[in-house]
Amino acid sequence: MAELATGPTRRRHRVSCVKRQADSPTSDRRALAGLYVHVPVCRSKCRYCGFYSVPAGGVNAVRLVDGLLRELDRHEGIEFCTAYIGGGSPTSLPASELFRLARRVRERCPFATEFTVECNPGQVDANLLTQLREAGVNRLSFGAQSFVARELELLGRGHSVEQIETAVLAARQAGFENVGLDLIFAIPGSTLADWQASLEAAVALNLEHVSAYSLSFEPGTVFTTWQGAGRLTAVDEELDRAMYEWTIERLERAGLAQYEISNFARPGFECRHNLGYWANRPYVGIGPAAASCLIEGTHAGGALRITNDADIERYLAAVESGRAAPAQTQAVSLDDAVCETAVLNLRRRGGIDRAEFQRRTGRDAMRVFAEPIERYQAMGMMEVTDRSVRLTRQALPVADTILCDFSALD
Amino acid sequence: MDIQNIRNFSIVAHIDHGKSTLADRMLELTGTITERQAKDQILDSMDIERERGITIKASAVTMEYEHEGQTYMLNLIDTPGHVDFGYEVSRALAACEGALLVVDATQGIQAQTLANAYLATEAGAEILGVINKVDLPAAQPELVAEEIEHVLGIRKSECFHISAKTGLGVKDLLDAVCMLLPPPVDRSDEPARALIFDSQYDDYRGVICYVRVFSGALRTRQRIRLMGTGYSYQVIELGKFRPDMKPVGELGTGEVGYVIANIRDLANVRIGDTITDDVHPAPDPLKGYKPPMQMVFSDFYPGNNTEYPRLRAAFEKLALNDASFTFVPQNSQALGFGFRCGFLGLLHMEIIQERLERENDIDVVQTAPTVSYEILLRDGTVKKIDAPSELPDRTMIEEIREPFVKLEIITTNDTIGGIMKLAEARRCKLLKTDYLSPTRVMMEYKAPLAEIVYDFYDLIKGISHGYATMDYEFTGFEAEDLVKIDILVNGQAVEALSLIVHRSNAEPRGRKLITKLRKSIPRHQFEIPLQVAIGGKIIARETIKAYRKDVTAKLYGGDVTRKMKVLKKQKEGKKRMKSIGSVQIPQEAFMSVLDTSE
Repeated sequence: MAELATGPTRRRHRVSCVKRQADSPTSDRRALAGLYVHVPVCRSKCRYCGFYSVPAGGVNAVRLVDGLLRELDRHEGIEFCTAYIGGGSPTSLPASELFRLARRVRERCPFATEFTVECNPGQVDANLLTQLREAGVNRLSFGAQSFVARELELLGRGHSVEQIETAVLAARQAGFENVGLDLIFAIPGSTLADWQASLEAAVALNLEHVSAYSLSFEPGTVFTTWQGAGRLTAVDEELDRAMYEWTIERLERAGLAQYEISNFARPGFECRHNLGYWANRPYVGIGPAAASCLIEGTHAGGALRITNDADIERYLAAVESGRAAPAQTQAVSLDDAVCETAVLNLRRRGGIDRAEFQRRTGRDAMRVFAEPIERYQAMGMMEVTDRSVRLTRQALPVADTILCDFSALD
Repeated sequence: MDIQNIRNFSIVAHIDHGKSTLADRMLELTGTITERQAKDQILDSMDIERERGITIKASAVTMEYEHEGQTYMLNLIDTPGHVDFGYEVSRALAACEGALLVVDATQGIQAQTLANAYLATEAGAEILGVINKVDLPAAQPELVAEEIEHVLGIRKSECFHISAKTGLGVKDLLDAVCMLLPPPVDRSDEPARALIFDSQYDDYRGVICYVRVFSGALRTRQRIRLMGTGYSYQVIELGKFRPDMKPVGELGTGEVGYVIANIRDLANVRIGDTITDDVHPAPDPLKGYKPPMQMVFSDFYPGNNTEYPRLRAAFEKLALNDASFTFVPQNSQALGFGFRCGFLGLLHMEIIQERLERENDIDVVQTAPTVSYEILLRDGTVKKIDAPSELPDRTMIEEIREPFVKLEIITTNDTIGGIMKLAEARRCKLLKTDYLSPTRVMMEYKAPLAEIVYDFYDLIKGISHGYATMDYEFTGFEAEDLVKIDILVNGQAVEALSLIVHRSNAEPRGRKLITKLRKSIPRHQFEIPLQVAIGGKIIARETIKAYRKDVTAKLYGGDVTRKMKVLKKQKEGKKRMKSIGSVQIPQEAFMSVLDTSE
């Protein structure tokens, strides 16, 4: 895979990722699965966050990590090429439990070229980061979100601007050579200057990776409640766009190339785990609310998506008694898999790699999506070459209005 | 039966003034039906009629009634209760010698009461004034009687006070029908002539004609001819409604009943036409026959092109039961293949819409209703068009004529101002005002049909807090200074959005229309100019701004299912719109053409 060819790799271990090698057109004999471990606990819930998590204080961490590891054991036989511990906040676990989890994941994924742990900048120190490095973690992703104190306060992050900078320095000292952080723009009340200041601060840290997300109001969050009550107003569309445009311009100037709608990296440091999602390759999600996407030969050429229920108690009860985590299973038809692949691929700056698409889905993207491709090409929203189909620069801010035409076959 | 003992009469009333209830009481009192059978008002046989409390199609019931030792045959002929069916009402009334004008004692005379009373007078029917619901606490029978005397010249002392609900006074009314209404004129020795005042299609028996025999007689197995259309048939069955169909061997002069003659196409049977003997025909048909005239037109397109054959089948079925509904194939650049449908009026259109939805599960895009126009061309020929897109080139047009109606509105005196203001804005000319009582006023206007066809009735209802009623009658086509407005979306003229308006209104109407379009057409990835043009000259412009930001920030493994759903929904939304060039226009935009509200 093109994305695996970059960076330091150990590709001599070319192991098939699925237990049963499927014959379906969506299968890719060389595909390796990504492993995602969801740690569903946080010290406190951020006001904008729609991911599943419960207060860390209310959960027995030993029991939780035991449970996660037991679910991981159920996937014996699958080889993983990347691992990612996210949340929630993994760093809100007691250090000893986080290390135990990390060590065990590393043991389970000996050939993973990339092993990321998400960190809250307010919950790490040199000692913790050094031990994570020793446990085999080789990439850190800090949930920085903003370098404007007022914004951190509004978001309910529970860490300071200084803590972000200290955390990144500590990561370097611990030997991490692949460090990224997440930022949020279009925060209510935010100005272009606020966002520019955050970006400058991020650039100054000389990172390998930056994810920059436009704030979205997710159902069930404090922000959405406040928005409904008129306490918060989403930023104006023009400002949102200006912030996005500036993000691309500034980060590219700093050597961080945009490789996905919200993601920027120094060449070779693109997040391999996430590239797996956008390539629509198989992945296994461990933990409450985590999703897996497996290729199943019995599903008419499509895939199988399993989403664990967002309920930590039922989850633990099930895995402790040796059962599968309670989950919703959805068979993805070949047609839907074709569409998902197109939508996910088009989020990459490289777009659809025509040969890769053909290999993974058995279809020719240019034929399946002839109508929208032609239409958007005429509008200057898409570029087609012999090798790829991709969104143009000007299409990025309005990508959904285009991608929706790839979401179903007529 | 002796012709002197036959009484043919109708009940005319405004909606909800108690026509059907009164009919039920009469059917009970005459022993035609039992009380239990009356629970569903017999005369209204269709769902929509019952739900809306109106009668679409006339029916007729024969009752027998003992009065002063003699048996009378009472034929109650029901009339449709709405303006759009004015012609059908006039034919039903023509079949009668008398009419009972029923007015609600709590509400007084309404516009429809008046319109129907005039029709009855024109048909030469004797009118008995009936004040209903006198048992209600809010009843003001004396006041209503004064209105009736003032407006219709029926002496207030001669009005019957009844309660159809309780049966109070209904027997006296039946006696009065026998005593006061005239019998049919005896023309039994002349050639057969029977008036068709209604018809209905039955899947098994074909067309059932509702007739009133004016001269001679109709017999089973007789060869008959329809004088208007020229078709001839053999009578299979004659009968009367009692209220179920009861076959008889003969229908004599003065009698009312039905004729079944193996007629397969409802279009061959025209209301108002005369049935005569095919071998010994009458020299002249009965007077008053007019072919149905469609005054309101609207295009129907299937939401999905593959549904076109189903839509056609649905319309064919509807036309089978309604000879005044027409549909012809239509191909629109914007909306694809569909049908232009013609209706007698707005209510008629609504009824067809409802039946289409109820009886067929078809997603339909409907354009705003328009009226028909007469175009006098330079070469002296007259062309009739029923859509703005059919208007010939400007250089060929001598004049454009639009349909006018006589419009009657009855309202309270405190709401006259608002209604007059609206009417004036809609180019209506006030002909007269008449106080029915110190608080109630009747206004008569000459109005362009196009101006009242869409939302006028709703607006006067709003202004008068639901009180005002209106009725209209087509009077003729007249030349006006009319122009066609074209709407350009992204530089391309959209025919389905064109509009014919009075020159004085053209610019404000055009502006209003594009303001509405700006709101109903969603943003695209590019800026969309909306322009109003008259004869190629741009007179107004609006712009739909482009989408500036619409992109999902995060899309990772756990988000795929939910996000794909959202995108599919966004795509579905686009699918319900029609593409004009690269612009997607939603269905409601096509209806905004005639919406003149702010």
